[in-house]
Amino acid sequence: MLRLAFRNLVRRPLRNGLAIAGLAVAVAVLICLSAFGDGYRRALGTELDRMGLQMMLVPLGCPYDAAARVLKGRTLENSLPGSALEEARRDPAVAVAAPLLMAALPRPQEGRADMWVGLDETALALKPWWRVKAGEKWFSDDASVILGSDAAEVEMRAPGDWFYSPETGQKLRVAGVLERSGTSDDSLFFVPLRTAQSMFQQTNRLTAVAIRLRDPALLREASERLQRIPGAQVVTLTEMMGTFLNLVGAVRTLLFSIALVAVAVSVLSVFNTLLAAVVERTNELCVMRAVGASRSQIAGLIATEALLLACAGSVAGIALAAGIGSGVEHLVKQLLPLAPAERLLSLTPENLLQCAGIGTAAGALACLYPAWRASRLKPAEALKAA
Amino acid sequence: MFRPRVLAGGAVLLLLTITAWRLIESSSSPEIPFETKNKPPPPAPLCPWRDPDADLKLFFPEATRCELETRVLSGLRLELARRLGRTPTGDENALRVHRIYRDHDPIGSILTRRVKGAFGAIELVLAVNADGQTRGLRLQRLREPESVAGTLQNPDWLHSFTGKRADSPFKLGLDIPDVTGESRGSAEAIAEGVRSLLILLAASDQSGLQSRGVPSHH
Repeated sequence: MLRLAFRNLVRRPLRNGLAIAGLAVAVAVLICLSAFGDGYRRALGTELDRMGLQMMLVPLGCPYDAAARVLKGRTLENSLPGSALEEARRDPAVAVAAPLLMAALPRPQEGRADMWVGLDETALALKPWWRVKAGEKWFSDDASVILGSDAAEVEMRAPGDWFYSPETGQKLRVAGVLERSGTSDDSLFFVPLRTAQSMFQQTNRLTAVAIRLRDPALLREASERLQRIPGAQVVTLTEMMGTFLNLVGAVRTLLFSIALVAVAVSVLSVFNTLLAAVVERTNELCVMRAVGASRSQIAGLIATEALLLACAGSVAGIALAAGIGSGVEHLVKQLLPLAPAERLLSLTPENLLQCAGIGTAAGALACLYPAWRASRLKPAEALKAA
Repeated sequence: MFRPRVLAGGAVLLLLTITAWRLIESSSSPEIPFETKNKPPPPAPLCPWRDPDADLKLFFPEATRCELETRVLSGLRLELARRLGRTPTGDENALRVHRIYRDHDPIGSILTRRVKGAFGAIELVLAVNADGQTRGLRLQRLREPESVAGTLQNPDWLHSFTGKRADSPFKLGLDIPDVTGESRGSAEAIAEGVRSLLILLAASDQSGLQSRGVPSHH
């Protein structure tokens, strides 16, 4: 029966091919959405864990926006008083409190901005991915700068070279150049915190303080204490992650409903294909009935054809999802509020099987009426009509 | 009967292979936190031409159109090495030439180049006549201290490059007015940059390396 069903499908390659393609697209969309949800949650969690931060002190304003901007190497409009750092460091639960001062100097002619970041030694504890390509890993003195990989290439700088900031009149010696990391660090100019504060007339001001706790279990009580620092607010990375996941979850639900519409359309397409096949092959099916095929065998033949179509559509959908996964991921990363560098599409056997199962079930659903109709054909009437 | 089965089997096998390959690839993830929205830019980006309108007005006021040509010079490396007096860099395997026309007549070219100044990159815009003679030079971007920038952007100093050709001498203090102190390193880089551009242009012109132009400015 399987061979017969396969031959029947091969006889109409265009029609069946289109039905398979429709089902493949629906399955691919389902797989991508399912894999994206799992992958984003995992990647975000991994990266926040890897940073070793539990919270950030940011100036008053929207805390999530502020924390996201700091993590992505962008500036804030407000700043924190330096006393916030001292108070954070005095807190018994705080293991590392790393101050940051960020400033952007627009270069409109070049369509970009010089991004300067002031750091102190504690930043190294929170930047384990820093790898130096050339020179030193830390500033030799207050008048030195460490350049991100792209910044060094554009400015043609190497360790030992001078580097000048025309807007602030600061001459700096290049202490080191970082290896390319694919992060925002690649295009940043890092200077000692004091130097940055002096360059941008932000004496004793900070953009943010990144905090690692001695014990993550102390998060709640530490957060309550730090929240009392004047002019500052605490945003925990768990809260940030929750907010991002809620945002992404809402979008995902919307997209899932669109994917379900695609699945429904593909069910109709398979249904139409099978029904047309039954109508076209009425005489053939009647002959089969006349020579002894039972109703259940005829229904089984149509169901087998439907399942073959659905399986082929599911396999093609999996391949399509694997093929276009990178493109979809690239597109999604452009739109996400905080895009981890890790793969967002996590194609696990579980979600592949789930989606292939949905595709196959769609095929099974689509075959019910055509199979029933084929099994009800009356050989005598059909042959008489022919 | 045999052929469709083989084809279908082959197609399924191909799909499974692609799927397996993608799954394996997806399992290896980079250990880099927080990627920027855009992919990192390619290394040593080409020097753009930032203000074509102003430069055309300044150097070729009679121009009616401009076309961008990319000339591949990798076949001329030996000759370039001889004329430059050094091994050509990777960037010098190709030359982007903005050909300037008055109606249908070529009247010159504009070339750009990024050179290593003492305090940061310096971007040159070099205007060259159709006969290979320098028509003018402008520094479209630099991040030198004010005193150095003032010296390098002095119109008299920049004008000293006018009339230079690929085979002209470019010795600072002899052929180009000397500059002192902090400006000297950047001035030497600019002179070498202009000389290199003229040599690359002359070599490509003499070899008849002209790709089909793409309109870049009207």
